[in-house]
Amino acid sequence: MSFLERHPEEPLVANRRLQAVLGVVVLALLVVPFVTTDALTGLVLTGLVFVMLGVSWNLLAGYAGQISLGHAAFFGMGAFVAAWLTTPSAAGFPASIQLPILVAVVLGGLAAALIALVIGPVIFRLSGHYFAIGTLALAAVIELVMLDQRSLTGGSTGYYVQGDLGLNEFVSHGDVMFLLTLVATIVTIAVTYRIVRGAGGLGMKAIHDDEEAASSLGVNPLKYKMYAFVVSSFFAGLAGGLYGHYTLYINPESTLAVTWTIDSLVIVILGGMGTFAGPVLGAALFLLLDTGLAAIVGSVATTIEGALIILFIIYLPQGLYGLAEDYFITDVGKSGGAQAPKSTDATPETDPDIAADED
Amino acid sequence: MVAGELVSQSIVNGILLGGIYAVAALGLSLVFGIMDIVNLAHGHMLMVGAYVAILVFAATGITPLVGMFLAMGLLFVFGIVLQKVLLKHVVGEGIEQPIIVLFGLALILQNIGQLVLGGDARTADLGIPGDGIDLGFAFLSLPRTVTFVVAVVLIGATWAFLQYTKTGQAIRATAQNRKAARYMGIDTDRIYVITLAVGTALAGAAGALLSMLFPINPFVGWSYLLKAFAVVVLGGVGSILGTLVGGVILGVSENLGALYLGGGYRNVVSLLIFLGVLLLKPEGLFGSGGGGE
Repeated sequence: MSFLERHPEEPLVANRRLQAVLGVVVLALLVVPFVTTDALTGLVLTGLVFVMLGVSWNLLAGYAGQISLGHAAFFGMGAFVAAWLTTPSAAGFPASIQLPILVAVVLGGLAAALIALVIGPVIFRLSGHYFAIGTLALAAVIELVMLDQRSLTGGSTGYYVQGDLGLNEFVSHGDVMFLLTLVATIVTIAVTYRIVRGAGGLGMKAIHDDEEAASSLGVNPLKYKMYAFVVSSFFAGLAGGLYGHYTLYINPESTLAVTWTIDSLVIVILGGMGTFAGPVLGAALFLLLDTGLAAIVGSVATTIEGALIILFIIYLPQGLYGLAEDYFITDVGKSGGAQAPKSTDATPETDPDIAADED
Repeated sequence: MVAGELVSQSIVNGILLGGIYAVAALGLSLVFGIMDIVNLAHGHMLMVGAYVAILVFAATGITPLVGMFLAMGLLFVFGIVLQKVLLKHVVGEGIEQPIIVLFGLALILQNIGQLVLGGDARTADLGIPGDGIDLGFAFLSLPRTVTFVVAVVLIGATWAFLQYTKTGQAIRATAQNRKAARYMGIDTDRIYVITLAVGTALAGAAGALLSMLFPINPFVGWSYLLKAFAVVVLGGVGSILGTLVGGVILGVSENLGALYLGGGYRNVVSLLIFLGVLLLKPEGLFGSGGGGE
């Protein structure tokens, strides 16, 4: 699967033009809640949640090579733990444990990471297909149990989340949640970037390429899988907590259902699996598809998404990032004059015909 | 305490249900063992098979026992097209690509099911009375018994196909050693097409049988995929007898779980058994290891 890989030494953020673009994007996002409507702010916030989901799933699947179909479980558990901490009385907990939203959301992410830490050593006894199906089953168990625990989750009717920030005279709730989500997204991207460019990323790629070989060279596969799994689950849980406190309503189906796993997967496939910028591009395209298509073709949108991921994985396995790299980033690199390795293999790799003929 | 009669009734119902689970699992197991891909859309194909039987019954009144053959035929053709158009690009490319293609397909089937029929659950009527034979310790419902017998016949037919036909022997040879089979003049590409088509047809049959007993909605795909995979793991990949036994174990434990823990835990019990076996004995209770190379 080497054609899904990028070069770790690729100086993505060292490129000045890219730095400028990133700066402009962040500034533009910062002003979103103040210059647009609430609906548009909510839409962009959803996009940021998609980025967090995509980037975190990509760390586990794209870099460490573990195709998890249970990402929704961590998103949902993060959402629920955060909701229990801000709204303890709705779940039957003493009101005295109530915490501010920011603390509760971070603890939600930590709870998701803790679940991953406990489950990881067991679930990583499975590999390949068994791992994928095992994680799907695990997420289904968590969803069913949570659905049944009506006192904790409100069952299928769910409950309303306490979202009072005490700031309502100055800024609206949605705007604050937007800014928190933006910061969380930047943290997600920055931390994941550090990991994949560092020794952790190399270890993950080594076990992704050939676990046995990596193991015989002294790379501990479980260590790197756990690293990816725990970090990935933390950010998925963080995204869940933020989303739950933006919508201010939570139930097992809206937060734990397989839909969130599907979304994560679609985002990463569209953007480019195992590429760093891929999930960010994928989240943007997915947001457009999800809202744009829904407006144009209504309920056929999901069919089109399904068809797109099939076409992408067969004909464009590097996703949008592969396309963008061919047409834009390679040129930027050339003008910078510092990206020798890329020109030798990036272009032929992403040619759809060659990718399709690879067998 | 639960009355003894309820327990024996649950066990009998579980055994009868287990036959259908075994049919669903057999299709998944064949494809997994021979092509080394997990058909993530298997549960959704089962859902399509169920809807074919339901719609045929609703439109014409034809019994779902006949509708089952229509569902099997349709899904057989679907399997051929799927392999020739999509999967041939990705089979043998590692696990990522096939799993994602089939995930996308599951998404499409679920969405189409929803568009055609809405989110409501539907069921078909077997057209035979619900009463049955009183065994003393349990009641043998006629619809459940009929579907169980049909399921066992289907499993027997699949066994005979693999055992006695030239194509079946070629399929088994391919499962044992794909390269050697190719050297012996077996067209393994054709074997893949047939294997997938038989696998999807069995999913269709299981769906049609289930539609006579339980309401079906467009979202049942994931749940039945996990049930079928649980049976594969219980029985061992590639073992037909193991699949039947695994199906019965799953059916019985689900019914007992629902009896003792409440209906909400019916699926939790089967998933936990599945995860337990997967972790403790991944080659299956009766399996001798994978059927692939």
